[in-house]
Amino acid sequence: MNKTGFERGEVNGIRVHVMPTTRFKTFAVSLYMGTPLAEDTVTPTALIPFILRRGTAKYPETTQFREALENMYGAGFGFDVYKKGDYQMVQFRMDTINDSFVSADESLLKQSISFLGDAVTNPVLENNAFREKYVTAERENVRKRLESVVNDKIRYAAERCIQEMCKDEPYRLNALGQLSDLDQLNGANVYERYQQWLENSTMDLYVVGDTTLDEVLELVSSQFARKTNTLHAYKISIPRSAGAEVKHIVEKMEISQGKLNMGLRTPITYGDNRYASAWVANGILGGFPHSKLFTNVREKESLAYYVGSRFDPYKGITTIQSGIEIQNFDKALNIIKEQLAILQAGEISESEISQTKAMIRNDLLESRDSAYQMIGYDFNGRFADKDRPVEQLLSEVESVTKEQIQTAASVLTLDTIYFLTTEQKEA
Amino acid sequence: MESIRYERLQETLYFETMDNGLQVYVLPKEGFQKTYATFATKYGSVDNHFQVEGQEEVKVPDGIAHFLEHKMFEEPDGVDVFSKFSVKGASANAFTSFEQTVYLFSATEQIEDNLETLLNYVQNPYFTKENVDKEKGIIGQEIQMYQDNADWRVYYGLLEAMYQKNPLRIDIAGTIESISTITKDTLYECYNTFYHPSNMMLFVVGGVDPATVMEQVRSNQKAKDYQPQGAISRFFEEEPVAVGEAWHEVRLPVSEPKCLLGLKEVKNGLTGEALQRRTLTTKLMLDLLLGNSTQLYQTLYDEELISDDFGSDYSSTTEYGYSMMGGDTRDPKLLVKRLQEEINKVVATGFSQDAFDRALRKKIGGYLRMLNSPESIAHEFTRNRFRDSDFFDILPIYESLTVEDVNARLREHMNWDQLAVSVVVSP
Repeated sequence: MNKTGFERGEVNGIRVHVMPTTRFKTFAVSLYMGTPLAEDTVTPTALIPFILRRGTAKYPETTQFREALENMYGAGFGFDVYKKGDYQMVQFRMDTINDSFVSADESLLKQSISFLGDAVTNPVLENNAFREKYVTAERENVRKRLESVVNDKIRYAAERCIQEMCKDEPYRLNALGQLSDLDQLNGANVYERYQQWLENSTMDLYVVGDTTLDEVLELVSSQFARKTNTLHAYKISIPRSAGAEVKHIVEKMEISQGKLNMGLRTPITYGDNRYASAWVANGILGGFPHSKLFTNVREKESLAYYVGSRFDPYKGITTIQSGIEIQNFDKALNIIKEQLAILQAGEISESEISQTKAMIRNDLLESRDSAYQMIGYDFNGRFADKDRPVEQLLSEVESVTKEQIQTAASVLTLDTIYFLTTEQKEA
Repeated sequence: MESIRYERLQETLYFETMDNGLQVYVLPKEGFQKTYATFATKYGSVDNHFQVEGQEEVKVPDGIAHFLEHKMFEEPDGVDVFSKFSVKGASANAFTSFEQTVYLFSATEQIEDNLETLLNYVQNPYFTKENVDKEKGIIGQEIQMYQDNADWRVYYGLLEAMYQKNPLRIDIAGTIESISTITKDTLYECYNTFYHPSNMMLFVVGGVDPATVMEQVRSNQKAKDYQPQGAISRFFEEEPVAVGEAWHEVRLPVSEPKCLLGLKEVKNGLTGEALQRRTLTTKLMLDLLLGNSTQLYQTLYDEELISDDFGSDYSSTTEYGYSMMGGDTRDPKLLVKRLQEEINKVVATGFSQDAFDRALRKKIGGYLRMLNSPESIAHEFTRNRFRDSDFFDILPIYESLTVEDVNARLREHMNWDQLAVSVVVSP
């Protein structure tokens, strides 16, 4: 046992992390698979989990696959595809009831890991390729998802801002891939990509629940068939700096509320010693309802319903997002810039600091009540190759000074301003 | 203070009714860092016409419950409520639904102080002409923001189509016009009626000691001078059995049309356990009919008429009841036609015992999983209690259901005369 509560081992090139606990009524299982984000692989890689959840060699029909989950007391099985730094992550999750609350014939943890192992490593195949029917259907599914980004204007504006900001980096790509790639994908070429992906992914498997490391290691070694036992470590790239001039992008669409988004660069990442300061600085700027942006843009000026900022320490980017009335664009932009300048000038009150620290402390402590949040926190450290148990981060946050906050804020540089506005510009 | 032990769930619930009528429930969760508290009034957007025993009948503007919720965060001392919580490391929030308004916080430390803040700010209104007028700008932005949200529009479109008189058809936030007529006096009138402790409930769950919490609430309430209040009657115009519109269409830019089918319940007026039983039976029935492991789901998925976001739900109170099903689709008319054809086939044969057992297992698993989440417990418990039912009865009710119950419900509910369809399509 170490300070994180996770016991660790390795098998078949998979890092295994187990937290034995009786606190939950469930077993939480999470599998992270990461490969570098790249233009030529992003789309087939994104398609893989969609195909895998259609059927395994054991349960080739999708209805069979899902009935099996229902029989395990409705075990949850889900996946996510997202970007983390310059990596494309595919994350699978399973959660199952702890057997002691129900009468199961076989350990539900064993059934879960075996199910997940099958889903990831033993898919249903036809002529040494993925089943064409599933590939076609899931290709259309991914197409719809990519096309649907525009439905949610908040998300759309956020994504467009990043696209413009990271124009010549892989990070501009949507984690689900590119529409233009979809047509050429078929059972054979996606299966080919799948085999590389399974071999080259960095794999981390987590279990939180009433079990032991030894039990999980044994299950993983027998249920996850993999050709390699090489462990591929994550390589973290150095953040870029902002362009010499701020990019201004205006886009028109039929909407009733304008969306003003801004992208800023920061050299501070998760592995940096200034990470805690940068986190507090973002909290003061726009992370909470008491933050500068919320109190000044929304509460004092009634200019926006939502306004906030987010710090992505894996990419070195901070984004600001707000929903405003179209005609208030200049006013809102000026207030946001002014608040940033105020923060950078070190005009920070003691109460802003203490409230922000108290909120961050609470968020960190609360995360311990959720198995998946504890897993997520621990994985951040594995990803960035930086050991920072919650206790340590708590004390780092506590000791952050006003000067350190100012320094962390000063290295933020505005890169891109994006405004989604209406077709008819009102006078 | 009394308590009930739920042996199978390994949970004990403590409760007490204060002298002024406030109901207090405490669910200790051993090993949990977090405490989550909700302070709820049985007062939502539908309560726009009411009378307190011995007083005059009152009609108020649409959106006032939600407006009131926003205004509760304003305090006479000028200190924002969010700051009072955040300085103690708590995150606070509130929401208004059709039937209730809920104020909440979650915190890991200084629980006593935070609980005191929660009780005191909700029981200390401060409305002025200025702060009421200012709020109209913020809520106006919120209303506009939702106007751009296609998921929200298709949902409200369905309620508008099904209900002719019930205030369910009106947006929880009201309209820009209706909120413009709200004054501090109307706010105080609603406040005094519905925020009387006898109409409210406090639920605390997490790492707390029940006796300490009860003692704190007892002395907090004793110090406040509440006079007894008569019963509140709520008036609803009689709702015709028939839906108002069979087809409701809204134009908004979307990548793919959105389509929801609603079936309006013919028989209403159920209360307490009978209502809860019908709700659970119907939800189980919908899962058996439309869940993602069913043949029906797979058929429509293969026809590319539905995707992962396809789902169903059921909602019911004494006044109304409806089910809804749908999601994104390439062809709303075809989806409606195919759903009716496929559902009719199932209605003709009914569900098998096998399918029923599997679906029931899934529901039970889902319920047990919910008990990991303090938030879900607090919300579900309160919602059930306000409807005179008990969240902790759900497991025994599920276990008492038979395949015959569900088949009977299937035949009764799938009555196409009661169908309304709401769609959002691109202009």
